[in-house]
Amino acid sequence: MVSHTGSASALRTAGRLNEPRPALVEPEADGAPRLVNRLAVELIREEWRVLDRWWTEQPINRRYFDVVLESGQNVVVFHDDEHGRWFSQRGA
Amino acid sequence: MLACLAIPGFELRAALRSRPSLALQPAALAPPEGAEPLIGPVTAAAHQVGVRPGMRMGEALATCPKLVLVEPDPAGAERDWEEIVRRLEDNGFAVESAQPGTAYFDTRGVERLYGGLEPALKRALAAVGSHWDARVGAATRRFAALAAANVARPGQVLVVSDEHTQDFLAPLPLRLLGLDERRREELEALGVKKVGQLAGLPGAAVAERLGPDGRSAWGQARGGKRGRIRGRRPPAEVVEVLEFPEAVGNELTLRRALASLAEKAVNRPERADRFIRKVALSARLVGGASWRRTLTFRDPAGDHDRIRIALGPKIAELPAPVRALRLELVELTEETGRQLELVKTEGDELQNRLREGLRQVKASTGGGVVATVVEVAPWSRIPEARALFVPQDG
Repeated sequence: MVSHTGSASALRTAGRLNEPRPALVEPEADGAPRLVNRLAVELIREEWRVLDRWWTEQPINRRYFDVVLESGQNVVVFHDDEHGRWFSQRGA
Repeated sequence: MLACLAIPGFELRAALRSRPSLALQPAALAPPEGAEPLIGPVTAAAHQVGVRPGMRMGEALATCPKLVLVEPDPAGAERDWEEIVRRLEDNGFAVESAQPGTAYFDTRGVERLYGGLEPALKRALAAVGSHWDARVGAATRRFAALAAANVARPGQVLVVSDEHTQDFLAPLPLRLLGLDERRREELEALGVKKVGQLAGLPGAAVAERLGPDGRSAWGQARGGKRGRIRGRRPPAEVVEVLEFPEAVGNELTLRRALASLAEKAVNRPERADRFIRKVALSARLVGGASWRRTLTFRDPAGDHDRIRIALGPKIAELPAPVRALRLELVELTEETGRQLELVKTEGDELQNRLREGLRQVKASTGGGVVATVVEVAPWSRIPEARALFVPQDG
């Protein structure tokens, strides 16, 4: 782990990088995204699951999709199975 | 405590300073040239007859045929605001100016000096002067301080303690939040009309329905971030003005005037060989209106030619003939010389140059925009847990 050398006050105002952002996703019957932010999904490049922190009160249970949209944009979205909502995320 | 000083309708008040009699009549700030025809702040007399800020000009004039539209004076407003901020700074407050008419400052450093929180806030109000009808709100959170300042009466100090923040914000209208009109209407159509009603909704549901703006408004409705006040560096005071005997509209003449102003400003002894980071060109236009443009150099400038070349194209944007042209060296560097590189920069010198570069970026884009990425758990399978961004202070 890389330790942070900045001041305590700087750390208080620090933010997380690649925080998930709410996304408007319309899924298919099998749960794969069909529309992302009103754009059709052309291709699902990859799909994976992240199950983590199941031993805490805030478990993580996400189904990720790396998709290409009709606009040519490459987006990573996930369905948060804990809360039943969709998010997009960079750096995934 | 974080304090917020607010002067509602500041641009209108500044524009009315040269015509004080209009302050008692129905008057509104005219929309800037080229913008949507929506009126700006209005006087109390206009408000009384039903004219509201943001109304379409036609509707406002239909509501009050006697309404006087006051030409905006952005350069005058900026000068008046600068004077107010300086007066606060002279009284020991480190001020973060949000926009003309709204400033934040931290009271911690001056409470002992003035004998407590309220005396310090009253001192701030006294520094501004009574004719601006300023008001001050203080709270532990930034938005709560802003809301308190907006709710306070002219000349009043309103302090909201941390435990009462939620109760204080709950009955306030949604317009205090930084939401755009459409989002606010959407919420009001859903029956959410008060800040407290929005704060009571689940954050994730708000984010899903209204997107990032809605999420941030929801955060504000719950008091907003504690945040930190970033006191500004007082701008330099190198100003050169050229008054014309009669209004000038010829671009070539104005460019020559600019070249002469740049040369004079650069040769002023107060500059003390420092480089120029940011400049502002303003003009008093025929008819009393004003115009202003600022420019931050990519590399600090040391000669008048660069100022002339950089500001030259702005002359073409002048909307009317000019009575007076004014050039300000708004921000200067601290160093007075620059050594060209013979060997690769290392160590302290490299750090100094990086710091200087960061200051340049901040001068052009404002505080809080430069951050360092710190890896905290690069191995994590959760992307947002891998790294943090930490704001850099220089």
